[in-house]
Amino acid sequence: MSAPIVETHSLAKTYGLAPVLREVQLRVLAGAGAFIVGGNGAGKSTLLRILAGLEAPSAGHALVFGQDTRRLAARYRRRIGLMAHQSFLYPNLTARENLEFFAELYSLADARASANQWLGRVGLAEVADTRVFAFSRGMEQRLSAARAMLAEPALLLLDEPFASLDHDGAEIVAALIRGAVERGASVLATAHAIPEIDGVEFAVFEISRGRLEQRAHTEEVRRGGRIRSLLGR
Amino acid sequence: MNNSAIRNWLGFSTLALMLAALFMVFDYVPPEAEQGIAQLIFYFHVPLAWVAFASFGLVAIAGIFYLWLGDRLWDDLGYAAAETGMVFCTLVIVTGSIWAKPIWGTWWTWDSRLTTTFILWLMYGGYLMLRASADDTPQTARFAAVLGVVAALDVPIVIASVRLWRTIHPAVLVTKQGGHGLEDPRMVATLLVSLAAFTALWAWLLWLRFKQLRTRSRMRALAVRIAFASAAASDGR
Amino acid sequence: MSGFAAVLRKDLRLELRSGESTLALLALSMLVLVVLVFALDAARVRSLDAAAGALWVAMVFAGMLGANRALLAERDNSAIRGLLLSPLDPATLFAAKLAAALIFMAVAEVGAVILMVLFFNLDFDASLARLAPILALGAIGFSALATLLSAITGRTRGGDMLLPILAVPIFVPALIAGVKASAAALAGAPLASMGDWLKIMIAFDVLFVTAGYLLFEHVVGEDG
Repeated sequence: MSAPIVETHSLAKTYGLAPVLREVQLRVLAGAGAFIVGGNGAGKSTLLRILAGLEAPSAGHALVFGQDTRRLAARYRRRIGLMAHQSFLYPNLTARENLEFFAELYSLADARASANQWLGRVGLAEVADTRVFAFSRGMEQRLSAARAMLAEPALLLLDEPFASLDHDGAEIVAALIRGAVERGASVLATAHAIPEIDGVEFAVFEISRGRLEQRAHTEEVRRGGRIRSLLGR
Repeated sequence: MNNSAIRNWLGFSTLALMLAALFMVFDYVPPEAEQGIAQLIFYFHVPLAWVAFASFGLVAIAGIFYLWLGDRLWDDLGYAAAETGMVFCTLVIVTGSIWAKPIWGTWWTWDSRLTTTFILWLMYGGYLMLRASADDTPQTARFAAVLGVVAALDVPIVIASVRLWRTIHPAVLVTKQGGHGLEDPRMVATLLVSLAAFTALWAWLLWLRFKQLRTRSRMRALAVRIAFASAAASDGR
Repeated sequence: MSGFAAVLRKDLRLELRSGESTLALLALSMLVLVVLVFALDAARVRSLDAAAGALWVAMVFAGMLGANRALLAERDNSAIRGLLLSPLDPATLFAAKLAAALIFMAVAEVGAVILMVLFFNLDFDASLARLAPILALGAIGFSALATLLSAITGRTRGGDMLLPILAVPIFVPALIAGVKASAAALAGAPLASMGDWLKIMIAFDVLFVTAGYLLFEHVVGEDG
């Protein structure tokens, strides 16, 4: 049995006096995929931010790659990709410049080549030299996906990756997710509802008022294993 | 020793030492030849200054422990030390002004020690303004800790630079630190007792404020637990 | 340290593209000097002390604006989170932001020196060469201090007003030393004679560059 790539123990978070996450117990194995479904304000984004090491939990702890997320060393941060509601992009830089910058931050061998490759993958090659402030929300979202994935992280944390995307955009992102899973990455994504992604099985969790519950049969998911998902397959 | 015992012990010590100090200042120590009776303020002014600086040091030390250990206790201690120290620092400036007027006829002089104390006062003010303008979160506590540490580390440089500044342009008025040729042993004794009295006063006020802040922190933690419990309770519905 | 170079290059590129920060800094320096010319009535009398003092006032104001700007770039789209998420060390981020703030401040200083010579009836002579290392030491210390503090004040309600309140008392020793050394330099004194002032400025710089480097991780997080 492989080690879990994400693990939380009684994870809790409050903002002021409002509990946002309560007693969250989560386990995701390496190479697995999981969707966390929940309404607005349920705590999905907070959970992902904690897993990415951006926020500290109020109680309990979260482990990623076996490391406490409050003290993630650089070599582990290198292997995490986060796509959030905010794009983390610089509006006054072009799409290409943004990706090249992040490629350099992640010490990729050929920043320019990586940037070009990913611009192509997200269908933004024609607007590569346009500044991001001119992008539509959907284009920015796609670029943000490229930013999150360009270092080929072992763990992808995606916060509502299909939000604000039209059909083509959603297909692109779905393809990227599929590609990531195929190369062995673990994917933990949140959504309001489960989208269909051909060829990938996901475990499904539901988060409501800060509590996380499994909806799928198996507790740990191995890629390709049989699970009962909300899609009713 | 439980909390109210500490509080009472500190309170009574302060009372006793203060009475002793007051007696010594007004009845025991011989007045200084040059400055007359106004010089007696020295026995308040100097201990107040030592305590004000020491309190700021405590703010910094508490800050370091908070950054290292993350326990809210150190943050509460630092905040209490800042508030208490601010009171004492203000008194140093006020007593300095009261002393300057009869001796030199001006309400303020830029001599090196007063100037340094004034800068300290501004640093205290900045720290307290930072606290006041931010919500009560661990992040604010970290900010305050960092500010306290860098400001305290800066103080020795301030002292050095102000001293150099004053020697290059010596004050027209002779420096008032004439008290540092304390010939009479009674003067030394009075100064030490006064120092002990003001340190006790500081410790007592610090303790009171610190316990208040601790209570507030504990209540907040309790409120959070209640919030979690009531959320759990309403899960069942 | 590819991260340092990447962040610095990005900040400079952003600044060259918009130019608004540098322009604002130069404008602010000039306006401060103008106010001081009238306030000190420097038009009639050639006063080196007044000139040195005015120069440092302009620098302090420009420095605060510059440091604020350096961190402002990360506010759009929560870009700071992208940086914190990455393998980039917070200490390296501090170094890059310090370098950017320093460059902004250097540009402002050059402009301020030129204006100082013009407004305060001085000459463009060798004394300016002696001024350069003094201004450099001041810029390093102030940029380090302001970069560290603006990470704090950027996220509190006091915001823009809080930065000078926190920075000025802490900067006093370097300010005193800087003004004194600058006035002496303008009067023709050799740098060797200002040893004590320079030592104070160096001590200040070492303290704040080190403190900023070590403590930046505590002030740059996004935690609630």
